[in-house]
Amino acid sequence: MSSQDHYVIIGNGPAGNHAAAVLRKKDKEARVSIISDECIPYYYKPKLTGFITGSVPREDLLVLSLESYARENIRVRLGQKVERVDVDSKTLHFSHMEKIQYTKLVIASGSDSRMLPSMEPYEWALKFVTSYTDVMEYKDQIKNAQEIFIFGGDFVGFKFLRMLDAMGKKVSILIYPHAFWPYNLSDEMLDQVVANLSKTRVQVIVKDDIKDIKGSPGAYRIKTCNGIEKKADLIFSFNGMTPNIDFIKGSGIDYDHGILVDEYLKTTVDDVYACGSCAQIYNPAIKAYTVTIGWPNAVNQGEVAALNLLGDHKVITSVGRKYFDLEGVKIKTTWWKNIEDE
Amino acid sequence: MKEVNIVIEICGSAGEGTISAGEILSRFMSSQGFEIMSFDSYPAEIRGFGKCVAHTRISSNPIYSPGKQADVLISLNDKHSISQLSALKENGVLIYDSQPTKPHQEDNSVAGRANPGTIPYGVPLGMLAQKATGNTRGRNMVALGALSCLFHLDKDAFTESIKARYGKKKQIVIDSNVNSFLEGFNWAKENLKKADAHSFEDVKRPKHKEKLILNGNQLVARAALDANLTFYAGYPITPATKIMEILSKELPRHGGVLLQTEDEIAAIGAVIGAGFGGKRAMTGTSGPGFALMTEFTGLSVMAEVPAVIINSQRGGPSTGMPTKTEQSDFNAALFSGTGDCPRVVLAPTDTKSCYDATVLALYIAEKYQTLVVLLLDFFLSNSIKNIDVPRKPAKKYLNANIAPKADELKDYKRYRFTKNGISPRSIPGTPGGVFFATGLEHDEYGRPNYSETGHLAMTQKRFDKYRSVLSEAPKPQMVISEQGEYDIGVISWGSSAGAAHEAVMTARKEGINAASFSSVMLSPFPESAMIEFSHTCKKILIPELNFSGQFADFAAGILKRPVEKLNFITGRPMASEDILQKMREM
Ligand SMILES: Cc1cc2nc3c(=O)[nH]c(=O)nc-3n(C[C@H](O)[C@H](O)[C@H](O)COP(=O)(O)OP(=O)(O)OC[C@H]3O[C@@H](n4cnc5c(N)ncnc54)[C@H](O)[C@@H]3O)c2cc1C
Repeated sequence: MSSQDHYVIIGNGPAGNHAAAVLRKKDKEARVSIISDECIPYYYKPKLTGFITGSVPREDLLVLSLESYARENIRVRLGQKVERVDVDSKTLHFSHMEKIQYTKLVIASGSDSRMLPSMEPYEWALKFVTSYTDVMEYKDQIKNAQEIFIFGGDFVGFKFLRMLDAMGKKVSILIYPHAFWPYNLSDEMLDQVVANLSKTRVQVIVKDDIKDIKGSPGAYRIKTCNGIEKKADLIFSFNGMTPNIDFIKGSGIDYDHGILVDEYLKTTVDDVYACGSCAQIYNPAIKAYTVTIGWPNAVNQGEVAALNLLGDHKVITSVGRKYFDLEGVKIKTTWWKNIEDE
Repeated sequence: MKEVNIVIEICGSAGEGTISAGEILSRFMSSQGFEIMSFDSYPAEIRGFGKCVAHTRISSNPIYSPGKQADVLISLNDKHSISQLSALKENGVLIYDSQPTKPHQEDNSVAGRANPGTIPYGVPLGMLAQKATGNTRGRNMVALGALSCLFHLDKDAFTESIKARYGKKKQIVIDSNVNSFLEGFNWAKENLKKADAHSFEDVKRPKHKEKLILNGNQLVARAALDANLTFYAGYPITPATKIMEILSKELPRHGGVLLQTEDEIAAIGAVIGAGFGGKRAMTGTSGPGFALMTEFTGLSVMAEVPAVIINSQRGGPSTGMPTKTEQSDFNAALFSGTGDCPRVVLAPTDTKSCYDATVLALYIAEKYQTLVVLLLDFFLSNSIKNIDVPRKPAKKYLNANIAPKADELKDYKRYRFTKNGISPRSIPGTPGGVFFATGLEHDEYGRPNYSETGHLAMTQKRFDKYRSVLSEAPKPQMVISEQGEYDIGVISWGSSAGAAHEAVMTARKEGINAASFSSVMLSPFPESAMIEFSHTCKKILIPELNFSGQFADFAAGILKRPVEKLNFITGRPMASEDILQKMREM
């Protein structure tokens, strides 16, 4: 391997960090850089809900210390957003108007909250639990909030709901069965979830939709299509995640929902790999591309992308099966891990 | 109530408005009732494109030192600011221009080079200034506008501060600056998501009396005028020039004279001449000029003519580092020159004491008919603080010459032996008061005399007089506790004293049993007070801004015990953080 190489990784989550670790281990000479548009070092997203409610202190969010990167001679660029990729000149353009050159690129830019088209008019009122940066905007407001409205649901949303309930907040949830994207909740499962939730103080609304939201932070008024009216200090949306790939659009790297990669995690452009929840991976068995989420998948894919980038030919497989407990309903996933229980 | 203690640095190239933005920020913060201390560093070259940094510390509590690391860096220039990043704290805030005229190559952008953990706010400074005023000159004000929005500063009051700063300029200048500021404020409000924890909302502000915002040089000039200075001769030199500049305007208005001489030897010569003529006279210089003045200082001592020299120290030796601060002229101030030549040396310890020390210097020089060296340094000369209006000197400090009585003039002995060594001095023109004044050794009349006994007696007289100056020494500044016994005693002087006192106060909060001591009068030195202090301390630490520990060696000689030295020659002022760190290790 030549010392001229500059391996650049866009994304400071599990996929990006595991890719970087492998690249450094296998190539001691090359420059390795990790980029994140967030200012916080590598952290456990799964612990964000606990951080919001105060049960997890900031130190416990962090996976690695900055010193460990220095030891490994990995450069970390935090708070720096990649705006554009030019694959012909192998250049990344940052929003702060710096250009940097890569020899090989790993895209591990993760995913962002999915915004339902029907909810776009109310974006101004919605809060998401996607990143530390998002959370810091409203963390203090949670403390003072009395009534909280959640719509959608998804796995994270339910975890959050329980935490808010435990904090003594008055919580209402309007469950969208399709909030679990890329997973779908069957009617049967939904009935069971509702039945289990009815044992708590949480107010559950089903088979309904948002008609209107008015007001301002601390005093929202929500109307549903079935005529239910709710007041809330804060409104959260949990409707699954969608790959974070705006910056590659127009670069020549192919994408659909996510960045399209083959079973070796290589994109349609040479020397560019993608992994983690931003990637949509070809599965030869079903001859289709699928998006994966969950921490263990991201870790696994980061490592495999790095090995293949260095010349290996490893086919990616899903990590072992696991059951996720959603309000007493066991849901089989191949991608979820209860980080908080570790 | 919440308290603030924050250091904000603005970094740019000469000509980008860095220093004026810093000044506006300081004045605004002071007007808001906060304590401030600010300090600029700029290139030595008179005009150029060198790096400028305006450093301002703002606090709800009294400030003793400028603070080593910045909480906020406002970058007006990527190249210069990159080298300033090492002074930004971990998790510091960076405000930078997000729309430079052309893209940065790899590693040429301050945002790209920022340490991980830094909280960056990109603001299109140039673009917004252009929008507000039609040119990019107002980038500095746009940055202040963004800062004001992010940190919840009073927008209207800030605008007033800007208007006040440019009050004497044309309306178009005032408007451009105000509009740039507002453009920055409004843009930040619309576009920036707050990601840091700094806020000036509902924070403690010290009780606010009328405050003056001045640097050491300005206070020296003001004190000199208040203390009836009538003659100043000098040759411009950084960092002392400002004193001369102010006095060149003010002294004639007060009936005095300012003379710019061809060099420093001429300057001190003229000062001694004026002193001989009965005028309160002073000169100001820095290391290289002080070296030249040494030629003449012996005359002031030998002929017993009042003279005050301000030496604002900079990095040395020789022309050294003109715009960097150092405390390396201690030995030169106390010991330079030939012969047994005692002279008084005063070193103010903070901005406020520059005023008092100047008054004292002029008073002692006149009363004791001798040379007084006032040791400032680049930091003291240029750092700005908001201070209470200084109390005007008491009457006794304004007229201190001990004149001969009528019967003494019958057979006037200008150098008459007295108990304290002070001989009544006649001012030329006094009937019967004619005398010889010479650099040669002399008898009581002033006539040359080289006899063994005569030289001994006259030397003794000069030293007696010098020792009696000790009665005028300001009380040493001490931070002590009721315990009366300490693990560490920090002894400091000059501009390092504030940092030392602050370090000791912080150390005590950490459970380190420490105390501190400093004296404005360095020569003659209040030895017994320092010895007494030293007896209460297990270890002695002496921090100073020179390489060899000039004062530490001097103090160790007095204390007759080993002392721990802590020396820096970084060109930056002493940092309380460094002293504290050393104390933790001791
Ligand atoms: C609240 C929450 C709870 C979760 N709980 C669990 C759980 O219990 N179990 C589980 O298995 N999974 C959980 N997940 C999912 C899991 O965290 C993700 O699947 C995993 O983090 C994906 O890893 P990744 O490396 O692909 O991307 P991410 O971890 O999302 O990291 C993406 C990185 O890319 C950076 N980035 C994106 N765009 C740019 C750009 N343009 N320029 C620069 N940097 C960019 C981001 O700053 C970030 O550093 C949870 C997720 C959330 C949000």
